[in-house]
Amino acid sequence: MFNFEPLSKGFDFFFYIKTKLHMRKLFLLLMGVVFFACQALAQRTVTGKVTDEKGAPLPKVSVQVKGTNTGTVTKDDGTYSITVPANGKVLLISSVDMATQEIGIGNQNVVNTTLKSVEKALDEVVVTAYGTAQKETFTGSATKISAKEIQNRPLTNVTAALIGTSAGLATTTPNGQPGSTPGVRIRGFGSINASNEPLYVVDGVPLGSALANINMDDVESLSVLKDAATTSLYGSRAANGVIIITTKKGRKGKNNINFKYNRSITSRAIPDYSRVSAEEYYPLMWESYRNSLAYRATNPIPLATASNTASGLTTGQNGIVDLLAYNPFNLPKAQVMLPDGTLNPAAQMIYNRADLNWFDPITRQGARNEYSVNLSGGADKTDYFLSFAYTKEEGYIKRSDFERFNARANINSQIKDWLKVGMNLAFIRSGGNFASTGGSNNIVNPFFFAARMGPIFPVYAYSPTTPGAYFLDANGNRQYDFGNATLPGLPARPAGAYGGRHTIAENELSREFFKRNVFNGRAYAELKLAEGLKFTTNFASDITSRFDVTFQNKIIGDGAPAGRVSKDYQTVTGLTLNQLLNYTKTVKRHSFEALAGHENYRVNEDYLTGTRQGQIVDNNVQLINFTTTTNLSSTEENQTIESYFGNIKYDFGKKLFFTLGGRSDGNSRFDNDVRWGKFWSTSAAWVITKENFMRNSKFINFLKLRSSYGTTGNDAGIGYYSYQTLYDLGRNNGLIPGILQATLGDTSITWEANKQFDIGLEFELFKSRITGSIEYFKRETDNLIFRVPLPLSSGFTSILTNIGSMYNKGVEIALSADVIKKKDFTWNISFNATTFTNQITALPQKEIISGTKKLMVGKSINDYWLRQWYGVDPTDGAALFKAANGLGAGVRINSKGDSVTTDINNAKFDYSGSAIPDWYGGLQTSFQYKNITLSALANWQVGGLTYDDTYAAYMHAGTYGASLHTDMQKRWQKPGDITNIPRMDNAQTSIFGATSSRWLTDASFLNLQNVTLSYDLANNQYLKKAGINTARFFISIENVKMFTKRSGMNPGQSFAGVTSIGYIPARVFNVGVNMNL
Amino acid sequence: MKNINKLLLLGAIAGLSLSSCKKEYLETRPTDQIDASSVLTTTENAKTALNGIHRSMFMRYNNQGEFGYGTIMLNNETLGEDYVLSGQSNGWWLGFYRWVDHRNSNSGNCEFPWRFFYRIISNSNVLINGVDGASGTVAEKNNIKGQSLAYRAWAYFNLVQLYGIRFDKNTANANPGVPLLLTNTIVGQPRSTVAQVYTQVNADLNAAEALLTTTRADKTNFNVNVVRGLQARVALTQQDWDRAATKAASARSGFTLMTAAQQLEGYNLYDNPEWMWGSRQIDDQTEFFTAYLAYISYNFNSTNIRTNPKCINNTLYNTMAATDVRRPLWVPAPTTTNSITPPGGLRNPFMNQKFKAKDFANSVGDIPNMRVAEMILIEAEARARNGQDGLAAAALFVLMANRVPGSVLSANTGAALLAEIMNSRRVELWGEGFRFLDLKRLDISLDRNGANHNTALALTMNMAAGSLNWQYAIPIAEINANPLVTQNP
Repeated sequence: MFNFEPLSKGFDFFFYIKTKLHMRKLFLLLMGVVFFACQALAQRTVTGKVTDEKGAPLPKVSVQVKGTNTGTVTKDDGTYSITVPANGKVLLISSVDMATQEIGIGNQNVVNTTLKSVEKALDEVVVTAYGTAQKETFTGSATKISAKEIQNRPLTNVTAALIGTSAGLATTTPNGQPGSTPGVRIRGFGSINASNEPLYVVDGVPLGSALANINMDDVESLSVLKDAATTSLYGSRAANGVIIITTKKGRKGKNNINFKYNRSITSRAIPDYSRVSAEEYYPLMWESYRNSLAYRATNPIPLATASNTASGLTTGQNGIVDLLAYNPFNLPKAQVMLPDGTLNPAAQMIYNRADLNWFDPITRQGARNEYSVNLSGGADKTDYFLSFAYTKEEGYIKRSDFERFNARANINSQIKDWLKVGMNLAFIRSGGNFASTGGSNNIVNPFFFAARMGPIFPVYAYSPTTPGAYFLDANGNRQYDFGNATLPGLPARPAGAYGGRHTIAENELSREFFKRNVFNGRAYAELKLAEGLKFTTNFASDITSRFDVTFQNKIIGDGAPAGRVSKDYQTVTGLTLNQLLNYTKTVKRHSFEALAGHENYRVNEDYLTGTRQGQIVDNNVQLINFTTTTNLSSTEENQTIESYFGNIKYDFGKKLFFTLGGRSDGNSRFDNDVRWGKFWSTSAAWVITKENFMRNSKFINFLKLRSSYGTTGNDAGIGYYSYQTLYDLGRNNGLIPGILQATLGDTSITWEANKQFDIGLEFELFKSRITGSIEYFKRETDNLIFRVPLPLSSGFTSILTNIGSMYNKGVEIALSADVIKKKDFTWNISFNATTFTNQITALPQKEIISGTKKLMVGKSINDYWLRQWYGVDPTDGAALFKAANGLGAGVRINSKGDSVTTDINNAKFDYSGSAIPDWYGGLQTSFQYKNITLSALANWQVGGLTYDDTYAAYMHAGTYGASLHTDMQKRWQKPGDITNIPRMDNAQTSIFGATSSRWLTDASFLNLQNVTLSYDLANNQYLKKAGINTARFFISIENVKMFTKRSGMNPGQSFAGVTSIGYIPARVFNVGVNMNL
Repeated sequence: MKNINKLLLLGAIAGLSLSSCKKEYLETRPTDQIDASSVLTTTENAKTALNGIHRSMFMRYNNQGEFGYGTIMLNNETLGEDYVLSGQSNGWWLGFYRWVDHRNSNSGNCEFPWRFFYRIISNSNVLINGVDGASGTVAEKNNIKGQSLAYRAWAYFNLVQLYGIRFDKNTANANPGVPLLLTNTIVGQPRSTVAQVYTQVNADLNAAEALLTTTRADKTNFNVNVVRGLQARVALTQQDWDRAATKAASARSGFTLMTAAQQLEGYNLYDNPEWMWGSRQIDDQTEFFTAYLAYISYNFNSTNIRTNPKCINNTLYNTMAATDVRRPLWVPAPTTTNSITPPGGLRNPFMNQKFKAKDFANSVGDIPNMRVAEMILIEAEARARNGQDGLAAAALFVLMANRVPGSVLSANTGAALLAEIMNSRRVELWGEGFRFLDLKRLDISLDRNGANHNTALALTMNMAAGSLNWQYAIPIAEINANPLVTQNP
């Protein structure tokens, strides 16, 4: 459908270059003759010295008079002397690895200069929407992370490189599943129910495939674009900020082979919560049972009778051992627990204690291996970058891994002086296994299962007849104890210990994996139409074919007893095509740049899924190996966006800058009348140090004041058809076709509109020893897209609609200091901090309650709205909540005169603090002594509250079989006990443990994310013999240590502050080597 | 030359983008859903929407315990005293057994009946209010409208029984019932009174009765018999004995009781002659563990069934005559020869063999929503409560002659006859979702003592009639989104 004929012609560039080289020789010869003549007429000598940034002389630097073949090189002391012809006006100073400089000679006879390394020079280029800008003259707010900063870290996912690095940027702690992507928020929350994730742009085009596909070693830089003026050219998709990923290019005149190898071992980074032992567990559960009889609402039993019953001394009644079903002690069941509630001192454990640990058997030492090689270089008109990489990561939980092959080719060629073309193609094949850890707080998740398992249940079956002996199978092997009486004589685990489930067996027998083929292609042609006028067209395609298999075995788990398999095939094809017209013009000190563009974006998703059950033969997970089809379905989804955009930049003497930009987007997610959104922005900057009055300042060497205002939109995360009211197909009644109401559409739903004002001061002090910025932002979102809960009596649960407005405003500070800057020793510290407030300013209705939060004007979207915990009644250990109705259900007036209730339906709800921290940020430091560099990176937050749901689950009032936190030892036990932990009572678990302010915990943390030690070796004779230019050896650790209020808690897990058990983050210990040939 | 090249290239590239500038470029539609506006264009389409409601009776909703009407049936059983949980290894329905979940407004189990019935009401309202405008025959429209009215009535009847205070014909029934939505709106509505809800239920059923005939596509659909059966249930609940008896008798006309052999085929076959209304599930509609038979059957290989086979109250079982053909539906002393369990399943005394899933590995099965036996028992009970012992005994004999070979017309009268009828009802309808509603409509206290209930498991052994606990709490999601609705005390 697309005709590439004009572009492909250009690709015979080898022939082209050869011809051109011939021409050039002839040309140079001619020019030489001419200039020889000119030289004789008028010439003078210019001398000077070339140094590097630290002031060291640079030898062998080429110094050439621009437009002539007159040239020389610097001596060992960096000095040079050159004869400049009369028409020579500019010196061209260049060196491999250094950024080429052009210096106007004017009337000077001495021209000294400092060359910056290419990396440093690239650092000062900010990649922006549809272009680049010099950092110095950039009018927006952006943070850049260069390849150099992350090259020694064992990162599989690009996003992980962002943690702690940028003011205004918040991240969640990465999940431990190999290849997983942490969440990212820039400058607060743009939305409530639509997406809050930034837009990822790779090599100029929004990425249409998963971030986990990108080879970290291909990345040249990451730019975090924060303010609206910088992002608004991406219009409707940019409201949550933009992260621009630029991949590496070859460099002219320098052919490189770079090789890197990383080897890591991984392990669990955050420890488990503190749990009670088997000997502590039995008395707690005894009490739970005893109290459920003695304190029950109808017909309570006297305490002494209940105690006897709980100990198993009442004929015809269950004792606690019957209820827990497993007796791990060497005593008959009626003797385990004494009627006073203590464990019989004679009780000895008969199980092997290792069998009571459900976590170790599914754990292993994880490993990560990464090989990466890239070849790059360039001839006169063409540059190339080729890379290959292989990453294999095995998680520290069995059956969790990730494998990836990457290949990339990035080739750019100036085919004609008016035509430049390039292609950047990447192919990725990846795949991996999941240990069912995707479902947080789900029984299939081994982390969850192992955490919830009470401490008395063995992994392996023990003989029901011979205490302490294993229950061996016919071959004399140990057998797993499924806890559901499948082996004769064995008991069934109680509900809290998931009888009939066995995470270790399920981990071994079931499979969940994916395979993914990805193609990322970027191609462009750039035509110079006239002086200063350039036409560019970009074509990009991101294609992901993903194939997921979920096999559930027939022995145990969700697939039992038949065994079943689901296969999902999905192909997502994103196409972007744009046309850009660019015009630049400089008149004296006035520079103009204008851009006009048109863009089409289309994403197509094809999906096919099938499930069959009834496995026929083992070890085959193909659908044909199952007897009965239980699901077979397919869908196709489409989204389209069409856009027109443009911007104008003006620059006065590199001192004053203005920009004005706008974009109009039409989007298929919205109904015809509200489909088109218009977004615009403006910005200005003033480099104060260019003014005369600042020019001679001794300590301020750079000062820039900038500000911007702009609007952007957000359409993501709401589905493709939310304006349409739809019935589900396939609700067939037997074989007769049926449809059923599915979603209620709001035809007026439209873009979330984000308006952002930004003002910032950037400074460099003491010859740039201290650099930094301080910024204020205010981000307002109108037309918030929200899934408004509906009365269930309407027949629907919610409707997606635009509901109101909110803002995020805050301050960001970034500071970096070269504390020590000696030739052999440098020490740098960087620090960033952000504070912001989030507030709802308009809602169509008074309040919207959603989960643990309530939305109201004047409140934040992450303010907790919870039942108000009051404490524990010392008389009976009941959990008390503040009463909503002081005379209502379950009310007790206590000695302080407070009206409290034991009835959760009558508990008072109230605002209870926020999940948003007071301050958060990052801290980086780096020491360099000669060839050794030691660096560390941390992120932190102060303030905010975590709703520790995981802790709450460990603090239940006595669900038989479920594990307990050691804090439970401080529970109420007898009248008069003053404590904040209610009595154990099996009948009250859902009441005492109800969602309430009881589970809020200070969320402050310090997370030491990375420590790296590296050693650089260059100009080494042994290396040289081996053909190696430079080599670097490094050791690094990711997720070193997290300091939190409660051991085991992960306050960085979610932005909304609620904890759950997913895949606990991994600690990665890595050694690596990087060689340049 | 150079410029021509440039222009050609520019032209070619510009051409690439032209196709996308058309307006249709931005119009996209889903492929697994259809636009709501097409539902009411033809009766053919409306009929598919009605079939969707039939399906909603037994499909999976959000969570594992949410499988349509089967969930409601299990709730009603578990709250009563005839249905015995015999193990706690798997916690499903333990919250109902203990009388906790339905009183916890935060609980999804408290919410589900509300969501389920209102979803049926919403789907029905679309058809009731709009099918007349569709193209198609009057007969088709009447059928669709009649069935939708029956669904709406049935849903409100269930809702008001769960969330309202019991109907008492001797009072004004002015207590809060449930919001009465006859047209769909997303604006929260206040609770109508119990009396108002019953008035609407009867109006809808009467309208449905007038619109429907005896013919129907199949037993998953309503016909006039089923509507009369619903009228009988409603009348029984409203203590309108005469109407209950009359409607029940006319409802079952044309149907026969099943044979003794059919009793033992497992209550999962829609073709059973006694079934008047039922759901029919086919293999590719399996929801695995999210199914009625995944909890109540005796043979599906789930942990719940293996470790917690559902048993009958032993005192109730013992009321059955020794020759009762239903005796094998429960096994007082199960062994490997007299009972079937999934592989490795526990054999607990008085476990049921009544409900059978398709096989060990497949929880699929049809679900009875109304049977002839229930109609007979309504007739017998209503006559007995109306003081018409002769008619009552005669009605009961129709059933007992079938269930107990060689039985004779009951000689009991008064309270003894009524007790006989009620015992018969409890045995006959065990597991089919009636007991909680029966206790509530009759204002009888729950008493689980003296039977095979495990105290530690049940915790709640008694519940006084008239206690606030007989009303479900209004789900928190409704309260949060509907300022007009009030919570039950």
